[in-house]
Amino acid sequence: MEKQQFEFIGKRFDIKNIGKVTGKEIYSCDVNIPGQLYAVVLRSPFPHAEIKKVDYTEAEKMGAICIGPDDVPDTLYNERIVSIPDKTYRDRTVLPKDKVRHVGEAVAACAAETEEKAFTALKKIKIEWGKKWEPLINLEKAMEANAPQIYDHVYLGEEKVDIKNNIACERSVDVGDIEEGFKEADKIVERTFSTQRVYHMQMETKSAVCVPEADGGITVWTTSQGIHNVRILLGNIFNIPLHKVNVKRITLGGSFGSSIQMNSITPICVALAFKAKRPVKLVTTREEDLYDHSKYPLKTVLKIGAKKDGTLTAAHCRVQVEIGGHNIQAYPYLGCVAGWFASLYKYKNLKYEGTAIYTNKVPSCAMQGYGNPQINFAVESLMDILAEKLDMDPVELRLKNFVGKGDEFWGQGPTVRSIIRSCGVEEMLIEGAKLAGWKGRIPPSKKTGDIKKGIGVARGFHTSGTGGPNPGEVIDYSGATIKINEDGSVDVITALMDHGGGTWDAGAKVVAEVLKVPFEKVGIYNEVDTRTTVFDVNTHATRGVYCGCGAIKYVAEKVKEILLNYAATLFKDLPENLELTCNKELGQAIIYPREIPQNYMTVGEIAEHAHITSWGTISCTATLRQKNCPPCFITHFVEVEVNTKTGEISVPRAVILGDSGTIINPGLWEGQIIGAFGRGLGFSLLEETKYNLNNGKLECNGMITDYKIPTTLDMPKADNITVRSAHTYEPTGPFGAKGIGEAALSSVGSAVANAIYNAIGIRFYELPITPEKVLKALKAREAKNKERRG
Amino acid sequence: MQTNTKILAQEFEYLAPKTLDEALSLLDNYKDKSARILAGGTDLLVKMKTIDLKTDYLINIKNIPELNFIDTADGLKIGAAVPLSHIERIEKVQERYPALYEGIKSMAAIAVRNMGTIAGNICNASPAADTVPPLIAYGAEVKLVSKRGERTVSVEDFITGVGKTVIRADELITQVNIPEMNKNSGSAFSKKGRVKADIAKINLAVYLEREDNICKDCKIVLGSVAVKAIRAKEAEGLLKGQTVSASLIDKITKKASEEIKPIDDIRSSVEYRTEIARVIVEDAVKIAWERAGGEL
Amino acid sequence: MKKVEIEFTINGKKTKLFVKSNTLLINVIRNELYLTGDKYGCGIGECGACTVLINGEPVLSCLTLAADVDGKEITTIEGLAEGDKLHPMQKAFLENAAVQCGFCTPGMILTATALLKENPNPTEDEIKDYMRGNICRCTGYIQIVKAIESCAEGGKSEPI
Repeated sequence: MEKQQFEFIGKRFDIKNIGKVTGKEIYSCDVNIPGQLYAVVLRSPFPHAEIKKVDYTEAEKMGAICIGPDDVPDTLYNERIVSIPDKTYRDRTVLPKDKVRHVGEAVAACAAETEEKAFTALKKIKIEWGKKWEPLINLEKAMEANAPQIYDHVYLGEEKVDIKNNIACERSVDVGDIEEGFKEADKIVERTFSTQRVYHMQMETKSAVCVPEADGGITVWTTSQGIHNVRILLGNIFNIPLHKVNVKRITLGGSFGSSIQMNSITPICVALAFKAKRPVKLVTTREEDLYDHSKYPLKTVLKIGAKKDGTLTAAHCRVQVEIGGHNIQAYPYLGCVAGWFASLYKYKNLKYEGTAIYTNKVPSCAMQGYGNPQINFAVESLMDILAEKLDMDPVELRLKNFVGKGDEFWGQGPTVRSIIRSCGVEEMLIEGAKLAGWKGRIPPSKKTGDIKKGIGVARGFHTSGTGGPNPGEVIDYSGATIKINEDGSVDVITALMDHGGGTWDAGAKVVAEVLKVPFEKVGIYNEVDTRTTVFDVNTHATRGVYCGCGAIKYVAEKVKEILLNYAATLFKDLPENLELTCNKELGQAIIYPREIPQNYMTVGEIAEHAHITSWGTISCTATLRQKNCPPCFITHFVEVEVNTKTGEISVPRAVILGDSGTIINPGLWEGQIIGAFGRGLGFSLLEETKYNLNNGKLECNGMITDYKIPTTLDMPKADNITVRSAHTYEPTGPFGAKGIGEAALSSVGSAVANAIYNAIGIRFYELPITPEKVLKALKAREAKNKERRG
Repeated sequence: MQTNTKILAQEFEYLAPKTLDEALSLLDNYKDKSARILAGGTDLLVKMKTIDLKTDYLINIKNIPELNFIDTADGLKIGAAVPLSHIERIEKVQERYPALYEGIKSMAAIAVRNMGTIAGNICNASPAADTVPPLIAYGAEVKLVSKRGERTVSVEDFITGVGKTVIRADELITQVNIPEMNKNSGSAFSKKGRVKADIAKINLAVYLEREDNICKDCKIVLGSVAVKAIRAKEAEGLLKGQTVSASLIDKITKKASEEIKPIDDIRSSVEYRTEIARVIVEDAVKIAWERAGGEL
Repeated sequence: MKKVEIEFTINGKKTKLFVKSNTLLINVIRNELYLTGDKYGCGIGECGACTVLINGEPVLSCLTLAADVDGKEITTIEGLAEGDKLHPMQKAFLENAAVQCGFCTPGMILTATALLKENPNPTEDEIKDYMRGNICRCTGYIQIVKAIESCAEGGKSEPI
């Protein structure tokens, strides 16, 4: 389909962030309610210990309101309810009733007039501990026969599930026959890869403010990517009918997946508010936040076979992921990892086996990609290894085998299959290779000098949302109320969250484009909540534009229909004979009978007419479930420089190409790509939350002094990052748009690792690739070479 | 032990003397109690928040004019309350004391350097302190003043261990004195971190004094590789009085890497620090030699 | 614990307060003056989100005692705009898509304005070095650098 000319889509303006540059934007941590108490949380110093008694009498004597295990409901829940109940594992309560399962787990909490008072009181809470177990830090140890059991049983839906060997859940997928497939292969490569735990380091720590209402209800502001799920959970846990539970949508200071689930402190805050009968504000410290959520690590054993012409014949993928002390979303994670793996290339035959294991560590949850960067590292590294074995250009090997337009694709896992309708992979690989000077690259053996340059390629994708032909294991729908105000301006009332990627900007632009109302007259404001909006599942899974704004477009089209029908009565004509356009001079949308533009009425006038005649409000409320989750693609060509004397790696240049179909806001789209590039550098070269094997504590102690993420100086020069968009149009997306958010991260680390191999001829199978590891490998090779020569 | 970095939980009496004499009286009065000096606060407040460091009295010295001066007449004399960022802007520091300039520039971030002081960095006595190797390399001294009198101690002797110095309870560092540099001298600083704004995995300052193509005098000071910054004295011994050459530098780096006692910690490993020591000593010696007007 | 009386100017307004010795500046600004643009990011001086200007210099309010600002001039992000007129740096951040979640933005903008006061025409490396203590997890910094460049003397004023 040809690219249309848009009025608002694709333009750079965005005034929706004005609050953020003036300090007026309110985040959960900025909410202040008169009479509020400040809450702090007591956290376990032990990785696996029985709680015998929580005694807060001393703290109460100081005037603090305290809660312990007996003050919270018994409800067993999973804080992430994006999956359908039957496929949701439940293993937790608001506060643990029996034992703690990781250092930093919340055990009790108290609230007082000031934070200082609350903290002083907190230190007076006495916990009587019972049996203590050695922490299970490595997944191998956790699966051993005589390892302490972190859980005896949990629930899957309503079904009780016994937990053996600390295995939380498993999943497997088979397509075709891999044995046959490998028999057909001329070359087979197999390696083991491992990626590490990373901390989200979203700038805003998790917070909640709760007002207990007079009728037993609650009003809550909290860090969340999906307020409706928070509402449903709180209603369920505290046994309050949902119409009495109101969760406000409020700006979020970054998330990267850490607030898909209701954050652990939110129900704690609610419990305190109920007990105190006063508003309670709970803002976690950074050190608590480091102990609250983490990226899923992944260990992958991957085997791929190919014919000598490069056609893939089979792939066998076995993954293990240790998930920490709680199962937040391991089951869908295993499904998605299968999908990310399976949908990169046409393996013809494949087998996937995934196991999730409990450990005494911080609970893992989605972090930008939900397993995608982790498995991409394995696949894209192995593809390079295979290309070398086949003596084939890595770009050629990819071009030959990628899953693309017309192919069946199941990015979200084996139960969600659809056909790809837009794909820029070929364009991006070819164009990117040109821009990056790919043909001129030299093999590692020919590199000279102390500083060795290398170039690497990797490609990835992510699904735009989780939709499929049939509703499946994952709930995915959004909605909006759109109304035309009495002056022609427009309200867009939606629970759709924006964590900074520009989702609200996109929503406003979509409405503007449909209703032809100038962008400045379309309002998406934060004074919305669960009471005033229809359901929106979450802004996650790169669904903000495709699903969220897809639903907004759907509702806007309905409003347009109502508008034209009403206008038709004024023009005494049929709606299909009317033209709706944007008049820039008037700053209004106008409607006129086709071919008679001078007889126009502004939408403002039409709306005013509807108002004065008491006809009604031109509005519509509806929800939409997208029936696809089209892949948005990404390709990275990355240049690295390895200092062979110090092992340090710098990344001076990158060529990044993205396929999002129609790009709604180019500046913010590019921002997603560049931001993800930075996070990818952190993932591949720098970040890891390491654990002390003896006491289960984070080695950094929760202090970011020793959890470094990339700074300004770790990024290439601005002119050395080339970002390009493919020329595609997604027919099922709003104005042809797909997403980009998680795609942008998926192949960064892989490209960096491939570039390092090209630079020094040493492949790293474990992330992060630190100077210590690089230097050690270089020295080991030097020693080996000396030995051979000597 | 649980922390709360949003607040300062400790209770203490805050004092803000306006003169040096007032400050010394306070220190004298409270010498048997717990009293601490507040300069930039970038180490002290962090310690209070993270390891529950307690104090009954906090004495803010930043408003004392006698501690807020920079004298470039003879060498460099820097008042204890001068923020690091002001020191890095002094032309004489940039030109004549490049190791100190580079050491300060390598620290944290501009906001931290607007608050922190050189005296604070010395007193905090972290083995990874970035001003300390340069100050030792330049033979700098601190002036300690109390009601009882005053004394000067070389920075090298001032720090005795991790967080430990020879300062007495009633004493205050009033200034840091750095001798005038010989015009045929050169110096350099080097540091490795995980990112630029980081605590050092290893840091280093080299000072060389040249006569023709002989190294007349030298100091090689490494930080983050022992309980305090140490001089690689044997390496220095190999260099002193010798004609500087590439092969000699090679010998020196090997010797220096043998003299350090690094540990495995969250930032790096013994193996890495030992290897890297050779690289950074070589680079810094070469740069210092060049700055001293030498050729290789 | 005795309370200390402090008198200071904040965003041009003279203010007198009684604060405890251990009260941090960030909490006075956020909880007593209700200027919530000053953000808590880590509390230990590692992220720059709490940056404010004291006597024109960027300083971390999470490591500053409120008592210590007696007699000083503080500027927070709320004090940059002149009425409805945005400061050029604020405009530049908006126009260059340098704002995503926005949590680091107040600290970034304040530090950037101090940079240009000291060095009106910095190179890209100088900008990056000066801003290295302000952590951003969202943007990858490039658009922030471009926003700052566009404000510099002789900087291009159109967005990227």
